[in-house]
Amino acid sequence: MPPLLEAIQISFLAMIVIFLVLGILIGVIKVLVHFLPYVEEPAPPVRTQSPVAATGAFQEEDHIAAIHAALAHHLGKAPQDIHIQHITSL
Amino acid sequence: MNFQDAINKILHSTGFATIEPGQGLMIVISLVLLYLAIWKKFEPLLLLPIGFGCLLANLPLSLMANTDEGGLFNFFYYGVKHQILPPLIFLGVGALTDFGPLLANPSTLLLGAAAQIGVYTTLIGAVALGFSLQEASAIGIIGGADGPTSIFLAAKLAPHLLAPIAIAAYSYMSLVPLIQPPIMRLLTTEKERQVKMEQLKPISQTVKIIFPIASTVIIVLMLPGVAPLIGMLMLGNLFRECGVTARLHETSQTHLINIVTILLALAVGSSMTAATFLTWSTIKIIILGLAAFCVATAGGVLFGKLMYVISKGKVNPLIGSAGVSAVPMAARVSQKVGQETDKSNFLLMHAMGPNVAGVIGSAVAAGVFLSLFGSGDAGAGHTAIEALKTITASLGQ
Repeated sequence: MPPLLEAIQISFLAMIVIFLVLGILIGVIKVLVHFLPYVEEPAPPVRTQSPVAATGAFQEEDHIAAIHAALAHHLGKAPQDIHIQHITSL
Repeated sequence: MNFQDAINKILHSTGFATIEPGQGLMIVISLVLLYLAIWKKFEPLLLLPIGFGCLLANLPLSLMANTDEGGLFNFFYYGVKHQILPPLIFLGVGALTDFGPLLANPSTLLLGAAAQIGVYTTLIGAVALGFSLQEASAIGIIGGADGPTSIFLAAKLAPHLLAPIAIAAYSYMSLVPLIQPPIMRLLTTEKERQVKMEQLKPISQTVKIIFPIASTVIIVLMLPGVAPLIGMLMLGNLFRECGVTARLHETSQTHLINIVTILLALAVGSSMTAATFLTWSTIKIIILGLAAFCVATAGGVLFGKLMYVISKGKVNPLIGSAGVSAVPMAARVSQKVGQETDKSNFLLMHAMGPNVAGVIGSAVAAGVFLSLFGSGDAGAGHTAIEALKTITASLGQ
């Protein structure tokens, strides 16, 4: 057989082999992805404060401090002249 | 010995006295490679040590050519001759490669297969230019745009052509951003280039771990000759994905691949002697290599157009050009050409699928050649290949 004709035949058949091998790989990937789907990892637990804690001493202290500073600035007084003892949410 | 004799003896023991015109020309070629690597930044990690290896190999009396028994590069060349270094490069490539985009859109594997058309048209062209089938196979694989695969195959099928094949492969790989865009623009319409592809779906880690194992089993069973390349590629990827070999993964993708690159490139450079490089074959290989790259790019883009039609406009044909391997430069070219038409189009991750498919595709193409023309140490006796040979023979009658 002339070498050129042989080269053409080999090229044609080799392309078939490449498509065959990679086609099988496509099938394998599809099966893997089908049976082992991506499952989103559960989000890490968020540390939520309990209702008691939400109205608890730490948060209330922050609010009091913020209101304290704002009032002192607004009234033009020194912060130590103002005493906030308790806040109530409306 | 008088003074005059001593002077003459010293002068005749220097390289100046024995340098030949061919060696002088090769030194100039090595300087050109160094210039391209350092000042033009063409694949500097490879062209620089190749250029310097070539320089040393062609300095007379240096004993640094790959064929100089007992010379330093003669030992380095054992790593090429016995197919040790290219598979180790593949180990590093596997450790660096994320198969996620390929697994998310497995049909892009077909683009990696289609781009191999460049390999086979070049094979035909090389045979037409008078090369034997073995030589033509080693030349054709340049179209796979994969340096280690080209060196691996050339060392097995046509070791005397190793230097020009390696130089052509790495030179054209560095020229991918110049070679591919005109072909991509020529073969696609503006409407096709504007296609925005759907976001890739995430892949489970278990699939990413099983894929390298499963693909190794399938490919090596079908094409045993390519086991060193595919085996190392997938082992490197398994290091990456399994999550329990962080140190091996780190070493593979950094220190190991760097050390092996130095050894491989110097070994290739040392094979660039005047006797092996300054031939008409080299010029033919350089021309054929360019043709291989162009046809491979065109093959990928045209198959991308086919997928565009079949998917009813969901696939951007520009990602097809990335099927030529050359990771990740070819994928970057797809992204760049896509953004020339629409700045809000991001094709990079979509192009990474065919890009890594190209690595597998070119290794598979090499496996087919080894099965057909290898020395029989691997693959030649496989039933599928025997069947292929039978079909070839029957077609010829």
